[in-house]
Amino acid sequence: MTTPHLSSVAAESPLDPALAGALTRAQSQVNNVVLGKSPQVRLAFACFLAGGHLLIEDLPGVGKTTLAHALAATLDLSFQRVQFTSDLLPSDIIGVSIYERERNQFTFHPGPLFAQLVLADEINRATPKTQSALLEAMQEQQVTVDGVTHALPAPFFVVATQNPLDLAGTYPLPDSQLDRFMLRIGLDYPDRDAERALLAATDRRELISQLQPCLTTAQIDRIRAAVAGVLASSALIDYVQGLLAASRTHADIRVGLSPRAGLALLSAARACALLAGRGYCQPEDVQTVFIGTAAHRLIPSGSSNLTRDQLAAALLAQVAVR
Amino acid sequence: MNSGAADSTIARLTPTQFGLVSASVLAAVLPHLWRLPLPLSTLILTLLLGRWAQRQYRGARIPYWVKLPLVLLFPILVIVHYGNIFGREPGSALACAMLVMKLVETETRRDARACICFASFVLMSALLFDSGLGFALLLFAALILFLAAMRELEPRPADAPVRAWRDSLRDDLRGGAFALVVALPLALCVFVFFPRLGSPLWGAPTDNSARTGLGDRMAPGTIQELLIDDSPAFRVSFDGVPPPRTNLYWRGPVLWHFDGTAWTRPEYFASTNAAGNLQALGAPLGYDVTLEPSDRRWLLALDMPLDAPDNAVRGADMSLVSRAPVDHLLRYHATSSPRYLLDATLDRQQRRLALQLPALFNPRARELALRWRNELHSDDAIIKSAFDLFHTEFSYTLNAPLLGRDSVDDFLFGTKRGFCEHFSSTFTFLMRAAGIPARVVTGYQGGYFNRAGNYLVVRQSDAHAWAEVWLQGRGWVRVDPTSAVSPQRVELGARAAAGASAPWYQADWLLGLRNQFDLVNRAWNDVVVQFNSLRQQSLLTPFGIDKADYSDLVTVLIGSSTLLLGLFAWWTLRAPRTTLDPLDAAYARLCRKLGRAGATRAAVEGPRSFAERITATPLRNAAIADLLDQYIGLRYACALPSVTAVRTFARRVGALRVQPAVRRSR
Repeated sequence: MTTPHLSSVAAESPLDPALAGALTRAQSQVNNVVLGKSPQVRLAFACFLAGGHLLIEDLPGVGKTTLAHALAATLDLSFQRVQFTSDLLPSDIIGVSIYERERNQFTFHPGPLFAQLVLADEINRATPKTQSALLEAMQEQQVTVDGVTHALPAPFFVVATQNPLDLAGTYPLPDSQLDRFMLRIGLDYPDRDAERALLAATDRRELISQLQPCLTTAQIDRIRAAVAGVLASSALIDYVQGLLAASRTHADIRVGLSPRAGLALLSAARACALLAGRGYCQPEDVQTVFIGTAAHRLIPSGSSNLTRDQLAAALLAQVAVR
Repeated sequence: MNSGAADSTIARLTPTQFGLVSASVLAAVLPHLWRLPLPLSTLILTLLLGRWAQRQYRGARIPYWVKLPLVLLFPILVIVHYGNIFGREPGSALACAMLVMKLVETETRRDARACICFASFVLMSALLFDSGLGFALLLFAALILFLAAMRELEPRPADAPVRAWRDSLRDDLRGGAFALVVALPLALCVFVFFPRLGSPLWGAPTDNSARTGLGDRMAPGTIQELLIDDSPAFRVSFDGVPPPRTNLYWRGPVLWHFDGTAWTRPEYFASTNAAGNLQALGAPLGYDVTLEPSDRRWLLALDMPLDAPDNAVRGADMSLVSRAPVDHLLRYHATSSPRYLLDATLDRQQRRLALQLPALFNPRARELALRWRNELHSDDAIIKSAFDLFHTEFSYTLNAPLLGRDSVDDFLFGTKRGFCEHFSSTFTFLMRAAGIPARVVTGYQGGYFNRAGNYLVVRQSDAHAWAEVWLQGRGWVRVDPTSAVSPQRVELGARAAAGASAPWYQADWLLGLRNQFDLVNRAWNDVVVQFNSLRQQSLLTPFGIDKADYSDLVTVLIGSSTLLLGLFAWWTLRAPRTTLDPLDAAYARLCRKLGRAGATRAAVEGPRSFAERITATPLRNAAIADLLDQYIGLRYACALPSVTAVRTFARRVGALRVQPAVRRSR
């Protein structure tokens, strides 16, 4: 039964059917490659559509790279992969200006960062200098070399990975820089059925090479514009504010969520609502993206023995929904 | 009350404020007006309305040379009418007048407040005259008006928006009613614990007007007045099974002396204390009587009272007389014997009184009686022939024609229509003329038995008159000549006997309703008006206060009111509640309903997850899902939900009936 007074509110889906269909196809295509990880795929899509960058934190071999590859192929994005090492220099990723004798001038040779989807593998292995070059580029959507500013391609989407266990010889990202990632997800081991399908099927790399792009850049721009237009009612903003406030007063949290975290949370929730085909956010959207957006931004107090994920879950279990 | 000119302009009353104060004064004066002498009440009302109009349209101060003569005039008027200014009647009259004078000089907020406080006093003084439930309710309504006026007098911030007087009046009345309700517990506490005086404060001098009920004189028309008065005369609860209606003869004044027009009670009985010689023949019957104030000294009891209640005496003719006029609700216990032998021998004085007849009145009736005496040989035969005469030729009506000088003759041989008054009077006359000692007994007959409350209410309209004759060996015997004419009078009551002559306001259904309402009135009388120091003590005994003196009571009063005020303070000062908006309130109600049915929403659970969870329970149904959808739509899918949509949603939530989920034990 449709209710008459809902006709005046935001339309059920702000996307036209063709676009919505393409988006759904894109998601299912990635899901076919990265088996049994549809919530994470959903978050990755949300992160991309909200214009953020993604940090995948998990053990090697659970499909971090595959996910990035599949996303690039499905979304028809130019793809570059950078394996971060301790001797990687900023210029290695940004690019360098080289003197060309014929033209008698320096010419800028763009580095791997000049791609629409950059996979920064094992980001914590690089020195802080390189890390901050990457993070600055992520924030500014541009790089400046020798006084000349070069815009990065649009859309620009960084997927960084890091291994939380093997920390020897790494430079863990400082909290201020973790903040640049809109979402942090873990992939974890696939469940039994998914793993069996994975083992039985053909090689993932081959599968990726066969993927067809589902969305054009123009379509992605339109979807991103629609995300910004998703309605967040005052009640929803109350809820987000409630979460932010709770993170700042919680006993086990030393540093709570920043306003930027709130913005990221709201953007991700908007994208999540759009992915569900809705033109408005509901509290469940916020709850879906909350641990992904908030956990890596929380700094536990010294006495706390809870992980960041547990802290974020505790906040969710504390703030009432209207 | 004269403040400086600048001050008065600051605190000048607005038309709404002055209107409310005037209305309060009117409300305080109204209950008194009808009782005041006409010139005074006219003057008061004129002055009140005139002052209101003057203030409303001109607004100038009343000069002192107008006020001063008025202030002097009122006490003079009161003294001229009542003789003095003390006592409840002249006192309340003077208070009413001075209250209106206060309104005349009211210009500032301070005056207005004083005026309302004074008005409260005047209003309360009306309780000295009437403490019934209906009046108390009216009083509460007036108090709401007073509190509303007080609220309106509160200074408002200079930047407060100007409101229409209708709006502010509505707010004020609502606030006043709220204040009254909040004050009720405190009032109740003071009512229960305030030290009671041994006798009511208003056992004050009274005047002779406003008497109701039976008098010690029966002249044509006195009972007729009562028959149209439906107010309760007294209420009775019996210790055992109530006697049949035909035995319910409530004995009042016994009238011996006939002067040709009126029957009266001779001074002889007022002066002697001679008790009659009464022999009870059956089991005594006990009952409690609650007598409405009548300002007379008669107490009513069933034939024949075996003893007199406290503070009352039983005369030789078995009528009960209180030592003081009954000016407040009086409760007493009485015992009667329905079968009795009264005065086996008649002393000379009484025989003389019981045979007294005025000379030169009613020759034809005397002639008839003498003929009976000559033709018939026994007293019984004479009584029987009188009964036969009434039975064959007379009819019962409440609209009896007027009788002339020889009233008995006119009635016997002329009109032949009448009611108890005529029949008892004529019958007694005939008996005396025939040489049988006889007397008229007035009182009440019957009553309405309220089954819900298990008590009998006797109204003024149940007033009745009958006769008693003295027979050798049988003493005084009750004879009701009216029953010879109209047995229904005794079986059904006066109005039923009179047939269809009842006016509209005495329609059967209305009387039934009134009789039912009497139950409430009786409860009010019982619980509130009759609450005296004895009942107060019985309330305190369970708490270990055995013999409460004033200081104990004051301690309890102070303690309990401090406790109450503390509770109020806590309630007022506790953390401010966040006011739920209507949509939240409706959703909370929906969640409560679902919670009672077994699906409790966690505080952190979003509405969509809740809806999905319910879909998986036996509770799922389209209406609930639709309501939750609607809520999500209103709360999250639009920036600002429309008021009407929220109202519709709230109404649908209100109408939702949730069947509790069936839990099966496997």
